[in-house]
Amino acid sequence: MSENNFSRRKFLAGAAAVGAAGAMGVGTLSSCSTGGSSSGAAGNYDYEKRELNHPPLRDTAPDGQELKAGIIGCGGRGSGAAMNFIDAGPNLTVVALGDVFQDRVDDLQHKLNEQKGVEVADENCFVGFDAYQKVIDAGVDVIILATPPKFRPEQFEAAVKARKHVFMEKPVASDPVGIRQVIAASKMADSLGLKVVTGTQRRHQHKYINLLNEVNNNAIGEIVSADVYWNGGQLWYRTNQPDWSEMEWMIRDWVNWCWLSGDHIVEQHVHNIDVAYWYMGKHPIKALGFGSRQRRVTGDQYDNFAVDLVLDDGRKVLSTCRQINGCTNGVYELFHGTKAMATSSQGGTARIFDAQGNDISTFEDHETSPYVQEHIDLVTCIRENIPINEAETTAISTMVAIMGRVSAYTGKEVTFEEMMNSDLKLGPDTYIMGDIGYIENAEVPVPGTKDR
Amino acid sequence: MRKKIGNFLRKRLLLVLIIGFAIGLLFTIYTNKALEYTSTNESCAMCHVHPHVFDSWKLSDHYDTESGVRIGCVECHLPPKGEGYLPEKIEAAARDIYGLVFKDSADYNWEQKSTLEYAKKHVFKASCVGCHENLFPLTLTKEGQDAHLYYTQNEEELRCINCHLHVGHYDPNALHAVNVEFGSTGGAPEDVFTEPAEVITHEDYTETVPNTTISFNMKAIPGGTFAIGSPEDEQFRDPDEGPQKQVQVSPFFMAEIEVTWDEFLAFYSATAAEGRSTDTEGSRTEDGVDAISGPTPPYGQPDQNWGLGDRPAITMSYHAAETYCKWLSQVTGKTYRLPTEAEWEFAARGGTQTPYFFEGRPKDFTEKGFLGSLFGGTSDVIDNYVVYQANSEAKTQEPDVVEPNPYGLKNMLGNALEYCSDWYAEDAYEQLSDGATNPKGPATGEEHVVRGGSFKSPAGEVRSAERDYTRTEEWLKTDPQMPKSMWWLSDANNISFRVVCEFDEKTGKK
Repeated sequence: MSENNFSRRKFLAGAAAVGAAGAMGVGTLSSCSTGGSSSGAAGNYDYEKRELNHPPLRDTAPDGQELKAGIIGCGGRGSGAAMNFIDAGPNLTVVALGDVFQDRVDDLQHKLNEQKGVEVADENCFVGFDAYQKVIDAGVDVIILATPPKFRPEQFEAAVKARKHVFMEKPVASDPVGIRQVIAASKMADSLGLKVVTGTQRRHQHKYINLLNEVNNNAIGEIVSADVYWNGGQLWYRTNQPDWSEMEWMIRDWVNWCWLSGDHIVEQHVHNIDVAYWYMGKHPIKALGFGSRQRRVTGDQYDNFAVDLVLDDGRKVLSTCRQINGCTNGVYELFHGTKAMATSSQGGTARIFDAQGNDISTFEDHETSPYVQEHIDLVTCIRENIPINEAETTAISTMVAIMGRVSAYTGKEVTFEEMMNSDLKLGPDTYIMGDIGYIENAEVPVPGTKDR
Repeated sequence: MRKKIGNFLRKRLLLVLIIGFAIGLLFTIYTNKALEYTSTNESCAMCHVHPHVFDSWKLSDHYDTESGVRIGCVECHLPPKGEGYLPEKIEAAARDIYGLVFKDSADYNWEQKSTLEYAKKHVFKASCVGCHENLFPLTLTKEGQDAHLYYTQNEEELRCINCHLHVGHYDPNALHAVNVEFGSTGGAPEDVFTEPAEVITHEDYTETVPNTTISFNMKAIPGGTFAIGSPEDEQFRDPDEGPQKQVQVSPFFMAEIEVTWDEFLAFYSATAAEGRSTDTEGSRTEDGVDAISGPTPPYGQPDQNWGLGDRPAITMSYHAAETYCKWLSQVTGKTYRLPTEAEWEFAARGGTQTPYFFEGRPKDFTEKGFLGSLFGGTSDVIDNYVVYQANSEAKTQEPDVVEPNPYGLKNMLGNALEYCSDWYAEDAYEQLSDGATNPKGPATGEEHVVRGGSFKSPAGEVRSAERDYTRTEEWLKTDPQMPKSMWWLSDANNISFRVVCEFDEKTGKK
């Protein structure tokens, strides 16, 4: 499956036809130029330029009818996303909040009032596992999903079925059953013309887009392989508190529990895996991974992975990620081209450099934060009715990360097809805020078997 | 004179144009009318005299739709306009008129024409997706989402009717769901066998399966040496049937008939697993449980609604067939297993080295059609022994409709394909050494050998030497479950198997 899903392909074909008609309209029939590249030695071998479809990237969203957002998941990222949404342009507000914890809802209600002057009425603040549905039904236009990823598929589908535009955080699920639910709901969103942005903010970052445009102009030749890294320190964890139930502890400590986060290769490293998918234009179809748990304190996850990912044409992506303090770190992507190399990271300068290490071109950040930019793009697309739906693309990137995780957990080679047809579903079947006997049965996976 | 007319025409150019336009317009309108008229349901009904077609249409989802729109014949049975509508219409009309004039509708096998294989020829995917533009409507169920997602990933290989075969013509027996009730007879059986058959010499016996009402005949197959494969000049021979090698086979027992539904269901009810086994993380490393865990419930109707009883059990996977043998061995205390390819062919030949174990050349039975009837081709002999394309009515038949071969075995050459334990290789006989004893085929492979033709096979493919192999992916293409069943095949309705029992110390070998 290519990055351009069925509906987007249709849209692109339509756009191309309109473009062609426009060109003929201004009388350029005699010009047979097909839009040569702006740099690089075009035509010295068969370099095939891809059709890229970037978000609009305005400095601010255009004005329009007020858009009311509902926030589902009011922790750190949900609070951040709420602020980013309001900052994206005029006439944007938040009118409903939902979370499983009262303190989280209270905090964000307070923060919105204090920092943005936005008052969310008490009757629009909901607590519990069913809070998401109440937020969706609270008269909102846009839903922001920022709970732990396990809950995303169900909430995304509910939002789409209620015909809401959606901003949702990556990753979009923690297991294959959830991924399929997201892709199906994404196709429904397409048919309803809903706009969906997914928190893979590098795709809304000027530096990444400018670098990709150059790469697509044949600046480094064909991409031969890629290395993608998220090697950093320990993230965070919560120790159990006497008044917390088992479920409360797991959710407050969610980045350490595989069923909730998908493990850190999915939860965090999906960003870099997504960049490889984006830049190379297709996703890996096979994974062979290693990983282990060395220093993580709580939960049942690993804290390091190294995965060899293979594309259908045999090209490879090396993916490594780690959450251990005191090691050498790096969070970036590196693309090996037939002519030169390209490297990118969220902070710092993106570069194209030659085999001697000399910079050929460099790319700097734009003043707009990518976390705000993604909301500017969402609002722009809603108000100007520009198609945008990143759900399926991010679902595929998430699935690649899940494929890497399953391979490392089992020690076996795992294919994308296997994952797409897998009934793997993590976590408890029903959600109760209480002691559910999950932790006593939780095990850190050990690959392979003891016997020969 | 000519000049005059020319002048007249020039002066009345406008008139001429208008008249021409009018004629053209009328022509267009009437052609279109004719097309429309011949595309109404009533006009279809004039030729399509088979009675069930309109009744079943009126009971179908496409007649009584939620929105009240009624879907007519040509909307499914012709491609959309501009996508081959006219050529197909002309072809279909020609076919129908020929049928109406020269044939009797009672001679048609309408049941066969309703099967997926035939439906593919007269239902057009472009027509389905022409109306059903949105494969992900908000009302789609969870199962529907998964199934349509699978479709979008395999659009080229799949047709809508792979799953939605009965939307245009209702079939009360069709089931599109997990078939939890399959094979249950309700109530406990009365006279169950308590002991398995005791076998002390290499002679025919009747196995009795303890705790069931099931018994079946086993034939003692003598050991011997024979030439496996076919000579190069055999009609319809495929390259994988050679080169011929001399092969020695030790004595064994073989079931008289293909495993029946009654037999297979005894296994199913004794071992059926409620839960599903998956190949993903967690359960991947689990292995080796003492009790035999048998099939999960099938999806849909494994017997194709042809009936159970003595008809061969079909659509089980190789794994299911193998597990059946393990279970049968456990409950009878003997060594039951699938035959090797050499054992199978030795038994099928029954001491003969000719294309069939009965008289006749393959071409005698294949020229039966138009030319055959002119030149006196006959199918009498083959009809006595083989259920195949020409006489099967497109389904499996009960074993008593045929005569046995010289070893007393029925349906070796037809009715249903049979699994063998060998891995398939096109050059398997190349690899075989002359004079080999009890060869077991290549050490590894991807697909297993299947032998004997089926009710779908033409006469050329029910020869004793004919070889074929499993198609793991193709045979599971449309299973909508995730993961796909490891027990039941969604897309192979002609595969069965037959057990052999080893002649060893448990069966009287000294």
